[in-house]
Amino acid sequence: MTMRIKSTMAACMAALTLGMAPAHPLAAATPCAEPAHGADLYRTACAMCHGTRLEGNFETPALTGRFVANWAGAPVSELEAYVHRAMPLMAPGTLSPDDTRAVVAFLLAANDLPQGKTVRVGARTRSACPS
Amino acid sequence: MDTGRTLSRRGVFAGGAALGAAAMMAGEHILLPHAASAGDARAPAHPPHLVPLHPRVDQITDIKVCIRPFRAAGPRLDVERIGDKTVFHNYGHGGSGWSLSWGSANLVVGKVAATLNRKVAVIGCGIVGLTAALTAQRAGFDVTIYTRDLLPHTRSVRANGSWTPASRIALTQTAGPAFADQWEQMARFSWATYRTYLGLPGAPILFEDNYILSDKPFDEGPARPAPAGAPGRMPRATEDFAAFDSRIRDIIPAAEDVPAAENPFAAPYAKRHSLMIYNFGAYGHLLLSEFHQAGGRIVIRSFHTPQDLTSLPEKVIINCPGYAARDWWRDDSLIPVRGQTAWLPPRPEAPYGLDYRGAALLSKTDGVMIQAVDLDGLGEMTGVGNSFEHPDPAEAARAIGVFADLFARMPMAGG
Repeated sequence: MTMRIKSTMAACMAALTLGMAPAHPLAAATPCAEPAHGADLYRTACAMCHGTRLEGNFETPALTGRFVANWAGAPVSELEAYVHRAMPLMAPGTLSPDDTRAVVAFLLAANDLPQGKTVRVGARTRSACPS
Repeated sequence: MDTGRTLSRRGVFAGGAALGAAAMMAGEHILLPHAASAGDARAPAHPPHLVPLHPRVDQITDIKVCIRPFRAAGPRLDVERIGDKTVFHNYGHGGSGWSLSWGSANLVVGKVAATLNRKVAVIGCGIVGLTAALTAQRAGFDVTIYTRDLLPHTRSVRANGSWTPASRIALTQTAGPAFADQWEQMARFSWATYRTYLGLPGAPILFEDNYILSDKPFDEGPARPAPAGAPGRMPRATEDFAAFDSRIRDIIPAAEDVPAAENPFAAPYAKRHSLMIYNFGAYGHLLLSEFHQAGGRIVIRSFHTPQDLTSLPEKVIINCPGYAARDWWRDDSLIPVRGQTAWLPPRPEAPYGLDYRGAALLSKTDGVMIQAVDLDGLGEMTGVGNSFEHPDPAEAARAIGVFADLFARMPMAGG
């Protein structure tokens, strides 16, 4: 239990630190930079609950499959707003707007969904970005 | 096993609370986790009053033969297009179908959800098909099961029905390291789901003390290396099989040594662990009832070629045929691994399990199960390549004989 509390605190600190950090210098420089930065943020702020492969577990939803179905057709801005106000669960609101966009861009890319204003399922193309 | 932990447990039980108190006064906080972990286990100070079973061949009520659908690469979970249908495969779980069923269903239904279809067909109503169907319902799908047979008549129910999530699930080399992570995900999800079926009327799922007995000290030596070279599709030796159990030891009750003074059996060495078992009758009926109550439909139908699926109204199909995939999907990557269980009348007054001399016994609500796991020292190679699905009474008699002999030799407490 002590270890769990410690690691949760560490993650909170990491999330807070990330929230205060300036936008990633590479963000928006290339189409792949934002998801790549998002992948780094995901590893630090999200993976401890949602898993390194977005697989989730019995208590925490996966960020694949039903996650895609739940957000299909929704404005990406709504997904970003949700992530920003609700996640990470132990420190919501600590991801900056730029970091939130990067995390969402990563989640779309990881599910082979195109970047854009809407979560478009079915129009999916194999991501050109290295994963 | 973790010898250090076992020794420290014994020490704590021998010394009692005084040891823990002394440690606290000395400020040795590091000892507390040991005390806490030892306190979790049950260790009676006297031999437990276990009722002896005295199994006899003339008490056999049934002999069941199962064919484990083994694939060297692990279960088939890929996606295939057949005409305008998208087929999500979910078969080939070796000796781990029951144990991994919920976790495998969770993986597959996640992939199905991303297609945005609301109707899904499930092929097969063994434990893998039924749990996939229930998982799809719980994710909001309208589910129809198409199957030749329902659960009580499928090969699934010829298993022994206990938590064996890494039993002939894959070959380490052929499956590769990524499968180990996937296995762990499935095993953890399944375990958590099974736990939701504990404590229910009729005991569909329960924990039972399982005793592992030996005539000689348990071999704790280093594992033998696998044979040189890649095994490909066919296992060559026990060491080729994947051994993943240690990955989830944080949630599975550990085995502990049973000291001689507490060992009621006529075998000098004993370990005990708490084993999760599945009672087929209560659990199977419960799952089928849940499926119907949630509005699920079952269509009895036999398929002969993959093209038959194009006649289904559903666009999305979860394919759970088990060993039958070898015939109807022409999948020769499935290797049969034969197993046989003999069933004797239920003995609810003797609720425990035994592993001894290559045979296993489990006292379940629907009967006492006795299985020849490895009577000839072949290890995990026992039954590999054998698809003979008829009962072998001689094999059943040998397995029963192991326990008949054990109980005949013991002046068991209460017996």
